[in-house]
Amino acid sequence: MAEPMGFYADTMVCIGCKACEVACMEWNRLPAANGGVRQLSGDSYDNTQHLDGIHWRHVKFIERFREAPAVGRWLMMSDVCKHCVQAGCLEVCPTDAIIRTEFDSAVIQSDVCNGCRDRIGACPFGVIDINPASNTAQKCTLCYDRLQAGLEPACSKACPVSSIQFGTIRELQQRAKRRVQHLHAQGEKRTYPYGADDRVLGGLNSSYLLVDQPAIYGLPRDPKLQSCNLFLSSILSTLGAVVFGPFRLMSLRKRRMDEIAERRQELEENHV
Amino acid sequence: MKADAVGWLFDPVGLLDGPLPTHYEPVESPVHNQIYKQQTSPVLKYWKRDDNQLAAVGDLRYPHVITTYRLTEHYLAGAMSRWNPWLTELQPELFIEIRPELAQEKGLQNLDWVRISTPRGQVKAKALVTRRLRPFKVGGKLVHHVGMPWHWGYQGLVIGDALNELTSLVGDSNVSIHEGKAFVCNVEKA
Repeated sequence: MAEPMGFYADTMVCIGCKACEVACMEWNRLPAANGGVRQLSGDSYDNTQHLDGIHWRHVKFIERFREAPAVGRWLMMSDVCKHCVQAGCLEVCPTDAIIRTEFDSAVIQSDVCNGCRDRIGACPFGVIDINPASNTAQKCTLCYDRLQAGLEPACSKACPVSSIQFGTIRELQQRAKRRVQHLHAQGEKRTYPYGADDRVLGGLNSSYLLVDQPAIYGLPRDPKLQSCNLFLSSILSTLGAVVFGPFRLMSLRKRRMDEIAERRQELEENHV
Repeated sequence: MKADAVGWLFDPVGLLDGPLPTHYEPVESPVHNQIYKQQTSPVLKYWKRDDNQLAAVGDLRYPHVITTYRLTEHYLAGAMSRWNPWLTELQPELFIEIRPELAQEKGLQNLDWVRISTPRGQVKAKALVTRRLRPFKVGGKLVHHVGMPWHWGYQGLVIGDALNELTSLVGDSNVSIHEGKAFVCNVEKA
């Protein structure tokens, strides 16, 4: 297996140009929604609004301005699949359409996916959705085809300010650490790495440098896998079966008895 | 910029408005020049035409400062990028960025249609209410600032009004760059 690869996005230097979004759609041959015709969202410069089956990168524009605008910030963050080390989507897929590649990325095989949508709910980051063209779940592949050919993903290649960086996870985690130390030394103490260690879902293979709370960027502070509730939900299911099972059995018996009575009545009527 | 690839403040030859830089107000301005009696550059270019009227200094019919600019999603006036669905879905419609205080004054909500007018013409655009724009306190009054991108036209996957309807035909004295970054307009609910 090759070394785990991924992204590290420094949101401090993102200029919100959306070159990553366009490069992704161009390389992966993704169609624009409604042929490219849509209405202004009214939400800053963000008109695509979220990741889905045909938008595998999405730049968020978050306006953090109060009455005194001098202290405000226009936050930009290029969102993408996190390729979590403990991936919720891998856990739930019933057809094993999603695979862990030699680059430690999570890739959906479109020809194996049956479009059951289980994975959409299993992703703690809301990354996965159905591609209406193929009617299967799709998301970022970390440009698996480009990686196999020794190229870097289209988005990081297109990023004009090196906000999106591609490399080995080991190198990227060190880079994130150095960058935060550098910014803290310069007095920008609000910056911190998100997902650049194993605390969030065993590590995110697409990590970030953020300057505000995760919730401001629409990221969960402490995402959990669905299976973390497995023990409790199993107990509750068993308990439910024990409590409600007898009622069900009784109702089945009643239905059977009613049917027999009805048939007997029919027979008697026929005899007469 | 000189042959040594450095910008010079003092340039004795070559510039019509040299040798030292100074401050002039834009051709259309809500205020008088606070530094000199000379309001605008004495050597600027102006094309005299009936459809190239200018607003007088402090004209109350056009009280707001407007800046026009590009977006990263489109290229120049959009003649090429308005046909590319990957780009048009990212910036589909012409808008005017307007601060909440001015929007409230004009009875505008986010995404309402707005009519923007200058002595040359008028366009319609959707309001994008944002705190990113700040007013100027200049010449003892509060001057609101609005901003508009200029990538739309009458053809393409997405269409919208062209901002050349608003701008004036004036050029800087040396290379005739027109003044699309600072002029005045009026804003009202369409």
